[in-house]
Amino acid sequence: MNWSSVLTSMLPEHALLAGIVLLVVLDVARSGVRSTFLVSVLALAAATAAAAWLASIGYAGAPFPEHFSVSPTSSASKLIVLALALPVLLVSRDDFSEPTFHILLLSSLYGVCLLVSADSFLTLFLGLEIMSLPVYALVLLAFQRTASAEAALKYLVLGGTATATLLMGVALLYGQSGSLAVSAFADALTTRATLSTVGIVLIIVAFFLKAAIVPFHAWAPDAYEGATVPVTAYMAAIIKAGVLLAVVRLFGAAQMVPPMTDLIAVLPLLSIIWGNLAAMRQASFRRMIAYSSIAHAGYLFYALLGEASGRFQAVAFYLLTYGVMNVLAFSALPADRDDAARDRLDNLKGLFSRKPVAAVLIALSMLSLAGIPPLPGFIAKFLIFRNVIAAGFTLYGVLGLLASYLGIYFYLRVVQYLFMSPQEATRADGGSSRLAWTASFICLVTAILIGVFPGWVIDRL
Amino acid sequence: MGDALLLDVVLFLPLAGVALLIALPSDREDSIRHASLAVMLVQFLLAGWLYLRFDAASDGLQFETRLPWIAAWGVYYQIGLDGYNVLLVLLTAFLGPLVVAGAFSAIRKDVKLFYAMLLLLQFAMVGTFVAQDLFLFYLFWETMLIPLFFIIGIWGGERRIYATFKFVLYTAFGSIVMLAAVIYLVYSLDATTGVTSFAFTDLYRARLPLATQVVLLTAFALSFAIKVPMVPLHTWLPDAHVEAPTAGSVVLAGVLLKMGTYGFMKLGFPLFPDAARLLAPVFGTLAVVSILYGACLALVQTDIKKIIAYSSISHLGYVMLGLVSLDLLGIQGAIVQMVSHGLVAGGLFLMVGMVYERCHSRELAVYGGLAKLLPIYSVFFAILTLASIGLPTTSGFTGEFLVLLGAFSAAWPLHLQGYSYPLVASVAAVAGVILGALYMLYFAQRFLFGAAKAPHQPLFDLNLREKSILVAIVAGVFALGLFPDEAMHKTELAAQQYRRLVAEERIGAPVASRDARSTVARADAVTQGARSDAPGSAR
Repeated sequence: MNWSSVLTSMLPEHALLAGIVLLVVLDVARSGVRSTFLVSVLALAAATAAAAWLASIGYAGAPFPEHFSVSPTSSASKLIVLALALPVLLVSRDDFSEPTFHILLLSSLYGVCLLVSADSFLTLFLGLEIMSLPVYALVLLAFQRTASAEAALKYLVLGGTATATLLMGVALLYGQSGSLAVSAFADALTTRATLSTVGIVLIIVAFFLKAAIVPFHAWAPDAYEGATVPVTAYMAAIIKAGVLLAVVRLFGAAQMVPPMTDLIAVLPLLSIIWGNLAAMRQASFRRMIAYSSIAHAGYLFYALLGEASGRFQAVAFYLLTYGVMNVLAFSALPADRDDAARDRLDNLKGLFSRKPVAAVLIALSMLSLAGIPPLPGFIAKFLIFRNVIAAGFTLYGVLGLLASYLGIYFYLRVVQYLFMSPQEATRADGGSSRLAWTASFICLVTAILIGVFPGWVIDRL
Repeated sequence: MGDALLLDVVLFLPLAGVALLIALPSDREDSIRHASLAVMLVQFLLAGWLYLRFDAASDGLQFETRLPWIAAWGVYYQIGLDGYNVLLVLLTAFLGPLVVAGAFSAIRKDVKLFYAMLLLLQFAMVGTFVAQDLFLFYLFWETMLIPLFFIIGIWGGERRIYATFKFVLYTAFGSIVMLAAVIYLVYSLDATTGVTSFAFTDLYRARLPLATQVVLLTAFALSFAIKVPMVPLHTWLPDAHVEAPTAGSVVLAGVLLKMGTYGFMKLGFPLFPDAARLLAPVFGTLAVVSILYGACLALVQTDIKKIIAYSSISHLGYVMLGLVSLDLLGIQGAIVQMVSHGLVAGGLFLMVGMVYERCHSRELAVYGGLAKLLPIYSVFFAILTLASIGLPTTSGFTGEFLVLLGAFSAAWPLHLQGYSYPLVASVAAVAGVILGALYMLYFAQRFLFGAAKAPHQPLFDLNLREKSILVAIVAGVFALGLFPDEAMHKTELAAQQYRRLVAEERIGAPVASRDARSTVARADAVTQGARSDAPGSAR
């Protein structure tokens, strides 16, 4: 084993691990809230910087050959995920102060980093579980409603199902190919052996479950609604990113062949349609975002239809803009001591007259999620559909675009509430903390940069 | 070189204005109003200067800027003036300050947001006209929706939420379909010629099989026809117009509807010429139906704004008729008619807004004899009414007359060859002129003459601000009516180019099947993968 390679190539992971260890020590020492927060922000910032550095020098290395390797792509994946986690961490300060939260969050991020670097199903599984287990606890943490407990339990049970399905698929694949390398998956895509086909389908279903694709989506609305705002933001932006980046890594350079393409296209298409339709009827902001995330998962899986060379670029760019916009909405959401009231869409009515800046930020986020130009969400969607149509799947491309039309209404409804509806009763929103504003500001600047220089970002992915 | 930068300045000035407004505190409403007006005026002056400097004898793009934007997709930030857009940019810049000034007293709520949205809208509209890259065009095209969604939804009438959602969802549907067509078109160009580009000039060279052209043209036309609007896709227009605040109606009628016809002229027909010629009778029929149906609906309305809204449908039918005639005079007439309608309908909506501010009613029945109550107002109103009818010496005459002339001179040879349908359509279009006179005069008679009545008295006649606005509009109407030469001279080469592009035979072979290409793509992917996995980049 090459120790210097282990040191360099796992720098982001080491930074996170150091943070976790330090936080445990601080917890035992019963240190103050302030130092806990500082340590976790610094650890995360260091990890982000490390990933950025690795990505910028184009570092490639395999400290654990056949299990864990670092390439510019995986560094870029880590950079996106860690950078998105930074504003989430800033927002969380108002809701969570105990070290437990930070330890769980950083552990989950550690899992994501493993996931996007995995070369074998062993590491992949490890990453997936390290990513998910803390989130089950996060959903439950600081809960104020019994619904949270129910949500966490549902999430746990369905997460367990996904894990079991994945393991079964991997076992079948191993039985056929005798290899645990993730490339076995891509190879098996083109073969016709029954055993490996069943394995592939099971693995894909497991990822559908994790990404909340119809009909495996039912956990998402409950989990998103039950969790506290920062945790919902974390699930929507980072967990989704981790899962999808792993999927792209799994599919690798494999070219899609007919029965598989239909599996990859039909259920995501249904997700887009159902997610957009169901979101129209929600009264809870987080539930609405959950259905919107179901639709967005559909677009992301669509990207797999494109030529292999452009897949990572499309997915990564989409996840970046989608994550930034989601976190922007959540960080701009006015604080409220009553968690249920904060979540009600009705309470956003007339927000512009009370808090104009927050209203404008949420509106920007909604319009971008709806994919309305010139906001970055449009460019991300364009990139995916361009790849899909260029790969020859014109029909799926057109159907996907038409399905995305269904989504415009409910995003605009939020904008309508913010600007055009009179508020129902006199409401006093809690003031947002300075940290939440910082998070919004970071997201806003990132979104503007992506919107003005999309070419620059795309060239670097 | 310096001039090229001037067009960028014209384009981005409103955006800078938005930044300026954000910096101003929201309670200083008058400063906000004046700052917006100043920005719009400067933009108009610069646009006027560009118009004067525009060289009518030069065929290509003028004041062009071309910078790579998303290099990986061949998307360029490319803007420029040509005969197609030079008049429309001037019209947009001309109406800008008038709209801003017209809203001074009408808008009292969220003033800062309102003017920011107007400026944003101005930016998007100018951008749509000057864009020479399809991606950029689409971005601007869609961007217009956002400020209008706010303008109708926040400052509109009673049913504003319904109207604004109807407007946005209607137009967004067209846009989504067009987006699919845009992607397919660009990818076909890539697959057949190996050129990855969104530039209009490159796309004009795409050769596609006839069936593909028909499908793509239908997709583009859906989006454009909704904007025009052509019957039967017009149902959003009355709602949007009636519920929108005056400024919104003026921009909608004055500029936005021209986006649709401009789209047909610049993109729809020239991109898919063979399909355009094949479907010309369909578009011609829809144009004539729009002319007649719009006029008939205008005749029976009781809401003043609806009369003008339906008259817009009728007037834009002429533009479409001129465009499909493929006769040089008809095409130029169509361009003049676009500008003329922008001035006349914009002016009429402004005038309705002025009387609405005084009386708070749009019901025609509650008004009468305004000639006695508001004499100066009535003079302006009568002039614009006559311009709308198309009385000689006004701009409306130039446009409609040239369009009909073009339609007839294109239809006559066909009739002699035994194909009389276009001739019948042209004759029907003439009937539209008569209907147009009927509904406008009937309207003016009930509104201006007869027993004097108004729901709110005493009425104060126009103030200086309102007079200045209307003098500017009427000056424009007469300028275009008396001296159409100048404007037509600048658009002549564009009209010729349009006719040449649409007349061209450009049927191509079908795009290679997926399997054939995917082998190539796979080989590409392998080489690319090898390149990115190479450890050479590591230290």
